[in-house]
Amino acid sequence: MEELGLKDALSTISSGAIIEAVAVVVLASLLIMAIQKLVPMLARKLSGKPRLYLLASVPLFRLVIIVLTIVMVVPILVEPSFENMLAIFGALALALGFAFKDYANSLIAGIVTLYEMPYRPGDWIEINGQYGEVRAIGTRAAEIVTLDDTVIVIPHGLLWNNLLANGNDGTDNLMCVAELYLEPNHDVARMRELFRDVIYTCPLTKTYQPVVVAVLGTDMGMKYRLKAYPLTPGDQTRFIAELTARAGEVCAAEEVKMISRPLLWQ
Amino acid sequence: MTTETDNEHPCLPGGLIALDQWSTPDVSVHKTLRAGLKDILEQLRSGLTPESEAFESLDDLPSLSANKLKRYAPEPDASALASAILEQLEALRQQGAHNREVSFVVAPPFSGVSDALLTLPVRIIEPPANLSMTEPDADRWWDEQLGDDDWVVPELANFWLRHRSGLNLLKSFFARVALDSTGRGIVACSSWCWQFWVRYWPEIHVNPLTPAPLDSGRLTGWLDFLARGGNGRSLTARMTNDGLYVLPPKADDSKEKYSCFAQDLANAARGNRGVAHAIWQRALRAQPEQDAEQGEGEASAGNTAECWVVPFDQLSLPGVPQGSGQQAGLVLHAILLHSQLTIESLERATGIANRELKLLLSRFLRADLIVQDEKTQAYRPTPLGYPAVRKYLQARGFPVDGF
Repeated sequence: MEELGLKDALSTISSGAIIEAVAVVVLASLLIMAIQKLVPMLARKLSGKPRLYLLASVPLFRLVIIVLTIVMVVPILVEPSFENMLAIFGALALALGFAFKDYANSLIAGIVTLYEMPYRPGDWIEINGQYGEVRAIGTRAAEIVTLDDTVIVIPHGLLWNNLLANGNDGTDNLMCVAELYLEPNHDVARMRELFRDVIYTCPLTKTYQPVVVAVLGTDMGMKYRLKAYPLTPGDQTRFIAELTARAGEVCAAEEVKMISRPLLWQ
Repeated sequence: MTTETDNEHPCLPGGLIALDQWSTPDVSVHKTLRAGLKDILEQLRSGLTPESEAFESLDDLPSLSANKLKRYAPEPDASALASAILEQLEALRQQGAHNREVSFVVAPPFSGVSDALLTLPVRIIEPPANLSMTEPDADRWWDEQLGDDDWVVPELANFWLRHRSGLNLLKSFFARVALDSTGRGIVACSSWCWQFWVRYWPEIHVNPLTPAPLDSGRLTGWLDFLARGGNGRSLTARMTNDGLYVLPPKADDSKEKYSCFAQDLANAARGNRGVAHAIWQRALRAQPEQDAEQGEGEASAGNTAECWVVPFDQLSLPGVPQGSGQQAGLVLHAILLHSQLTIESLERATGIANRELKLLLSRFLRADLIVQDEKTQAYRPTPLGYPAVRKYLQARGFPVDGF
């Protein structure tokens, strides 16, 4: 550390400067906490794009505040000469490199997240088999809430070597798929038409987005996939349930039996 | 595609145009931003004032008496509008711009087209009591209805229900119209209904027409025409805050200064004549120094009547109760899709339980967003509440009309 000149750089720090720096850091932390609390609260009252933009602004605000805090604190503690800066950042790089490698990895990935935006608050993502809505993006990790209301913390570092699926990618358009298996030997064209009606007449359907009824002959029967967009991504569970229930009613009316795997194994 | 000038059709300014020519009245970036911010603030404020949704005027000037209101801003003459529509269709036929047997007029709610078609001396096709028909039943029903004589369908939105068993009647109808095998008729279709069906069946090609949107120029011309009411007496309307003129329409050599109220009105109504007319009626005031009933004689004596107009920011239009949850949107959307719905039909279209529907509907009634028809018991939107409802639905991802 001495070789880096860190000792010289830190020798000029006075107790007054430390108090001042701590005050700035505390103030910045309070500001970040307030933003993290208030902005999502306001966003919950809005809908559509304003909600998404407001949610996405939280990590950006935080990044700006952190950068500004660093810019303010460093000159308070040390004289901002080239040698001093080199000493401090060199020491910091060493410490991060050895002691907090994974933490630094996630921090950097967090910054990349803000720049590349592979996910934003409000997005529905799947990573490592976990699916949920991004609730918050922290400096080190993101929080998602699953459909079962479980909070999962995902370190940003996972981004480097994992596949990430983003369902709505910053928009409020999220395609949902209701799947059902029917006994073969029925009028497929008619069932497709009826299922299409089911989708269009479901009040939760965004009818201005594509609607598709796909069918595939499998060894488990005829597999139908009803694909459409719900009014809001948050409606997905209810939407899929509605589509499935309404499709079930159609099958019952047409006397086409629905099948499931347990039945096949019998 | 317009064929006549505005002066030749004062009750249908701009005439009938193709759907893709329709555009909202021009609005400045400043006003768009202001309106956007106002919307966001209203949404944020919603939790604080949940019950202040109904119409209220924020000024204390005396309103016009019913008589004066009837004289200064009377309801449009439906039969005159019907004649104008017929003339327009005929002119378009002669030009070769419209050659279908069935004329489709797609219009936003409150355009007056449905009422106008009801006044035509031709056979009116009313919707059947049961909208849930099988395909063969629907075909048979149309076979009985569509003959060789001329006919009109005053509102196509009343012929279907957003339920899997409520589509067959319109499927059968559109198939016949596509084949031109229906005889000669005119169909009025709500823009909301049209929006659904054009997505459901993108292959529908019926060359629909629509009344041109009312920009500020057309709007002042139309309001002036209504105020004259055929007796030639013009109306002078000035702003209560700065005395600037709204009516009569600005002449080329006019030296008077004019207010931007007409432009604000056209923008707020998105060029919709029914909505603009309803707001206009609420904005008119008696002269400040007179009360509502005074001055009747004086006003009738001259050739020009005079009244005052409240600034736009002093008119608080009805708003949608924000804390209603998503069910509110489902109900309002279903009502707009079908123009009007009874509670039983609403139950089928939305899947919401009767008891919950009653609670929501009573809230909307209190907020002046809907009214209930005493005869049919059906709920339909109000022109004053319509802009707020449309905005509410659009913000929540619902499919809205293009108007």
